[in-house]
Amino acid sequence: MKVRIWGARGSVPAPGPEMNRYGGNTSCVEVTLAGGERLILDAGTGIRTLGFSLPPDMPRINILLTHLHLDHIQGLMFFPPCFRAESDIRIFGPSSPEASLESRIARYISAPLSPVEVRELPCDVSFLDAPASEWQIGGATIRAEAVTHRGPTLGYRITDGDTTLCYIPDHEPGLGADLAALSEEWISGYNLARDADLLIHDCQYTDEEYPGHEGWGHSPITEAITFARRVGARRTLLFHHDPLHTDGFLDDLHRTARRAWQGLGGDPEQIGIAAERAELTVGATAAETPARPRIAV
Amino acid sequence: MSGPQKPLELILARNLLTSVTTPAFLVAKDGTLLFYNEGAGALIGRPFEDTGQLDLQEWTRRFGPFDENEEPLSFDELPLTKALREGRPAHDEFSVRSADGEMHRIAASAMPIVGAATGASGVMVIFWPVDEQVAREVTTGRHEVTR
Repeated sequence: MKVRIWGARGSVPAPGPEMNRYGGNTSCVEVTLAGGERLILDAGTGIRTLGFSLPPDMPRINILLTHLHLDHIQGLMFFPPCFRAESDIRIFGPSSPEASLESRIARYISAPLSPVEVRELPCDVSFLDAPASEWQIGGATIRAEAVTHRGPTLGYRITDGDTTLCYIPDHEPGLGADLAALSEEWISGYNLARDADLLIHDCQYTDEEYPGHEGWGHSPITEAITFARRVGARRTLLFHHDPLHTDGFLDDLHRTARRAWQGLGGDPEQIGIAAERAELTVGATAAETPARPRIAV
Repeated sequence: MSGPQKPLELILARNLLTSVTTPAFLVAKDGTLLFYNEGAGALIGRPFEDTGQLDLQEWTRRFGPFDENEEPLSFDELPLTKALREGRPAHDEFSVRSADGEMHRIAASAMPIVGAATGASGVMVIFWPVDEQVAREVTTGRHEVTR
């Protein structure tokens, strides 16, 4: 399984020279399965650049949305395959008793916020509630479950052969709970992340920043690391960087997280931090390719 | 691991109950007492950490409920049962017995917890001692818990 980060920022795009190494685009991760099929996790602004890299004859594009906050769907309207008649796009997301996934997303892709309407997109696009039970995409088994965030939000567990990726970009499992002391059955996201080969997880705040943001739906370093430890993740990639966090700040945050992980008895090499354009191989031959220099597109 | 992960709505309900002093139980749809908070522990005389989860027979044997004559009430008559079966809030007054054998008259409101993905998963029962003095002690943490 290969994983490529196209956007690791949370909340709002954060472009600028001081953000170059980690990138300013919001959440978007490309997953290439062993059989060659690709999945796209979230449609933040990173999906725009991803769209340019996809082959025009790609048979079907599967996008798994964790939730509908703008930083996770903003790129949809600028995703090049949406404007190709031959594209077949399936978008999965959280269900709601209030309205269909399509009509909720159409609140953004509609006037006056957008120059186009969903019905005007030339591609063949379908909107599907993420099934409550496991389902298959290509060779992968997908499981979606609700996790602690603000509003209906899913995390995903993707298993391809004997390799498992867990993606929970927006998550505050320690809200109102002592994460270190809780039994596993009471930990939000535990089922999804248990024994994952790679856990991509929210780490928006430092511990010092967190008290001013408690209940906003995101994790500080200690909670992210404790969650990773409790679920037995083999490798963790810290994700959903705060838009105020510059490259230098994120370097420090990464060092702090590695020390915290080491303090829990782990190997600090198991704690990474997501950088735009970084590529990772997950599974038996796990390796990470450093982020490439950013390319203007 | 002590069991499969609970549905998110139960996890959030427990987190909420942990954060408030109002006595409350969290009950699964099969009647298992999943959790009670410190306020409830103060009233019934045992902190949750000492009892852990209790099945329906065990917690009703320990705590009740009882009617005005201290006779056991049927599970069918409890607000939580109505909330579970009918999917609506329910309210009533009855008595519970604390660990030291003392009876407490309480008013209880039960609210069904229905998850978006999982459907009915349990009930949150919030209760108040009818005796105002005891109510004040419980919600301010001054009511003594027997360990």
